[in-house]
Amino acid sequence: MRYLLRRIGHAIFLLAGVSLLTFLFTALAPGTYLDEMRLNPQIAPETVAALRAQYGLDKPLPVRYVDWLNSVLHGEMGFSFAYNSPVAPLLLVRARNTLLLTITATLLAWAIALPLGVWSAERLGRLPDRLLSWGTAALMVIPDLALALGLLLFAVRSGWFPSGGMASLDMETLSALSTLRDLAWHMVLPVTALVLTALPLLVRHVRAAVAEVLHTPFLLAAVGHGIPRHTLLYRYALAAAANPLISLFGFSIGALLSGSLLIEVVMSWPGLGPLLLEAILSRDLYVVVGGILFSTIFLVGGNFLADLLLYWADPRIRTQSGVR
Amino acid sequence: MKVEASSSGHNMQPLLKVENLVKRYAKPSLADAREELLALNGVSFSIFPGTTLAVVGESGSGKSTLAACLACLESPTIGSIWYEGQDLVKLREPARRLVRPKLQLIFQDPASSLNPRWSVLEILLEPMVLQRNFSRKDNFTRQEMNERANSLLERVGLSPDIVRRPPTELSGGQRQRLAIARALALEPKLLILDEALSALDCSVQAQIANLLMELQNSQGMTYVFITHDLAMAAYLADEIAVMDGGRIVEQGAPEKILKLPQQETTRQLLAAVPRIARSAPPSVEQ
Amino acid sequence: MSARRAFAKWLAALAVLHGMVVCAGFFAPYDPVDQDRKSPYLPPMRIHLVDTQGHLHFRPFVYSPRLREGSFDQYEEDTAEPHPVTFFQSGTRYRLLGFLPCRRHFFGVEHTRIYLLGTDAYGRDQFSRFLFGGQVSLLAGLLGAGLTLLMGLGIGAAAGYYGGWTDGLLMRLAELFLALPWLYLLFALRAFLPLAVSPLKAFFLVIAVIGMVGWARPARLVRGVVLSAKERDYVRAARGFGASPGYLLRHHILPETYSVLLTQAAILIPQYVLAEMALSFLGLGVPEPVPTWGNQLSSLQHYSVLVSYWWMYLPALFMVPFFLGYLGLASSLQEREEAYKIEAGVLGA
Repeated sequence: MRYLLRRIGHAIFLLAGVSLLTFLFTALAPGTYLDEMRLNPQIAPETVAALRAQYGLDKPLPVRYVDWLNSVLHGEMGFSFAYNSPVAPLLLVRARNTLLLTITATLLAWAIALPLGVWSAERLGRLPDRLLSWGTAALMVIPDLALALGLLLFAVRSGWFPSGGMASLDMETLSALSTLRDLAWHMVLPVTALVLTALPLLVRHVRAAVAEVLHTPFLLAAVGHGIPRHTLLYRYALAAAANPLISLFGFSIGALLSGSLLIEVVMSWPGLGPLLLEAILSRDLYVVVGGILFSTIFLVGGNFLADLLLYWADPRIRTQSGVR
Repeated sequence: MKVEASSSGHNMQPLLKVENLVKRYAKPSLADAREELLALNGVSFSIFPGTTLAVVGESGSGKSTLAACLACLESPTIGSIWYEGQDLVKLREPARRLVRPKLQLIFQDPASSLNPRWSVLEILLEPMVLQRNFSRKDNFTRQEMNERANSLLERVGLSPDIVRRPPTELSGGQRQRLAIARALALEPKLLILDEALSALDCSVQAQIANLLMELQNSQGMTYVFITHDLAMAAYLADEIAVMDGGRIVEQGAPEKILKLPQQETTRQLLAAVPRIARSAPPSVEQ
Repeated sequence: MSARRAFAKWLAALAVLHGMVVCAGFFAPYDPVDQDRKSPYLPPMRIHLVDTQGHLHFRPFVYSPRLREGSFDQYEEDTAEPHPVTFFQSGTRYRLLGFLPCRRHFFGVEHTRIYLLGTDAYGRDQFSRFLFGGQVSLLAGLLGAGLTLLMGLGIGAAAGYYGGWTDGLLMRLAELFLALPWLYLLFALRAFLPLAVSPLKAFFLVIAVIGMVGWARPARLVRGVVLSAKERDYVRAARGFGASPGYLLRHHILPETYSVLLTQAAILIPQYVLAEMALSFLGLGVPEPVPTWGNQLSSLQHYSVLVSYWWMYLPALFMVPFFLGYLGLASSLQEREEAYKIEAGVLGA
């Protein structure tokens, strides 16, 4: 229990720290922003002055941070100049789309990596394992960008998959089931791209972790007891290798989030990635900050989930925090 | 057994006088509470030049902490270490640096006390290079340093053609000899041997012990010999101090300690010694 | 030790690849910004050995492209005249390694132009742009990795050696940086810097940004090494002779970190090349007309290009050997580290 509290405290600390960091980034270039806005003919000088006063840009830094944090905690994340609307609702929709992609990809990637890794660890050093190693190596050396573009090229040339976006144009007219199918059809390429970029590293690490466990005395003893192979592999070996794998899980979430940025942009998936890019190119300050914050929330949340999993999976953690 | 009685030293001034050393550690434990560890709890003694003081005790009695404090690698929380009229504890580093070469520590594990990436020559030269960096007057030339390195090797009984080799190619006994050679580089007066023989094979132990004795006889080297082996202590020492729980619980000449152990600790240490080594069976009743 | 040989093998392979990129002027037939407005979106030229009359030629040759009748972007070969590929011929001027004026190119053709990978919208040779683009992307990766490792070394060593609150503070900071998804952090950093800058300034900006994002993981690794090295007896022995912290770090502690740093370099460089590609691809990195691997692929963002001009994707495949080289290097370095640890353990260290 104490472990969980510690992890919650840690997560809060991370979020607070990140919010401070991102805020500092924005504060480091305030002049540039407003100056650029002043140069922009579309924005009236009164608006600039009003914004300056409204966002308290003449107040000292700590005050500004506290104000900003306060408003964020109330769900107010500023105003987007490009979209001419408050930032929070904009982010929420995009965040949902990104989550959809990232969570699906994570689950799929692990669902493939675990059996593959275990299978490979069983046959360590033999031909099937070596072939798989080469396969993962081949996948690893293709740059993520090239992979995404390649899939896109394939989609366009074959016509089997849509070349981008999240929904077809006639989405409104479709029934619920068809909408779902349409969504899935649009998801295939970006999810594939994400899974393929994450898979090699996951498979390698699962393989390494399981291989280490397979040669321990306790597992050999289990073999001696006549426990069936399938149970052995999954309930014994995998459980023993759970510790590093759960940490890997936390790490994979971060990697997939980062990867999703690029892939969303390439495949025109309406998630946080393209929004962030647009905001950067149009100097839409609060959208950028909000986007960073959201992605960090997901990452920290994912890692916290991993901590929870660890707590559940590893009895040593439960007892250690109880012992004094 | 040492033949010389320890009384010969009493007419001279002590080389080193330790007064009420206390060392407190704040140890962060797993549960994140601050636990205090009292490694040394008021240790006092004197050592006379040319003699060997053995400090005997079990693990955790504070022996290694004492060694580190004597060699100025750790600072005691309270207490003084008097050497040639100066309190080493109160000295500031520039002044202390001049005294350091005189009090050298020989470590237990010869493998970890020598940098495996360096050659024997580099290891031997290091003290001289460091000294050269500090004081203008001790300005050794390359030539002088190499010569001294060779003579050091000779003195500890090592062949000069190992100079280019890394210490990993030497045996345990050879490495310990090298460690001693390094300690001798700047002509120390006191060597602190922190379980220096414990990691060696029996026959090698005897060889190194003899080397140490020879150095003492020829140069008047003073030793603080820290060990858990009471038999070895009796063989080498002029005086034995028994440590337990951070304090010296019993001190005296080897014959006295072996024949008439006063404290329980001493008796337990004695009981650990194989019968062959003892000169007479200990008396159980007092 | 076979790990050592494998390392040497991969290093050699990478050296060759990088050599080609460094001497891009020699290996590329044309200047990367040279436009050939008459031949936009030319597909890769085919190299023939047998001509239309069935004669075998000694030297490989190409045909000039010619616009097909009635089309504005479909080309066909003008089989009237074969143009042999020449080697070590004199061609456009360039500066080898940036300062030696040269005219000799590895290969080329006379009277027409040879486009191994086709051309882009401005008729620029994609093969030349690939080689010159590699200079920018690979250098950005190398310098960025260098910056990160330098920062990681400094911060990790400080945290490990001094401990106490320095350590606590620095490691908390590291955790914060690790909590941010790194590509988002990269983009955010880039966002808060001026967007429209000269290519040179953009190049250094990209390196600075990429370099400052990833210091946390190397710093942690360095810290671990420093922590364990600090307590070794030979370090205490040196202290026993009065060595200063600076001396200890330089001569005893930091040398232990070099193998970790080298392995990290092999892992980070390709990651950073990828980061540069991502930035440039999206217009946040080095801008046109300077070629980089990123902006070379950026035309593929357009649907029309994907449909009709697929060869624009080919440079992406040519990048793979470089990444393969770095992967092999990293693997062999990790194996070498393992082997060294086993050696040291066996000999009773």
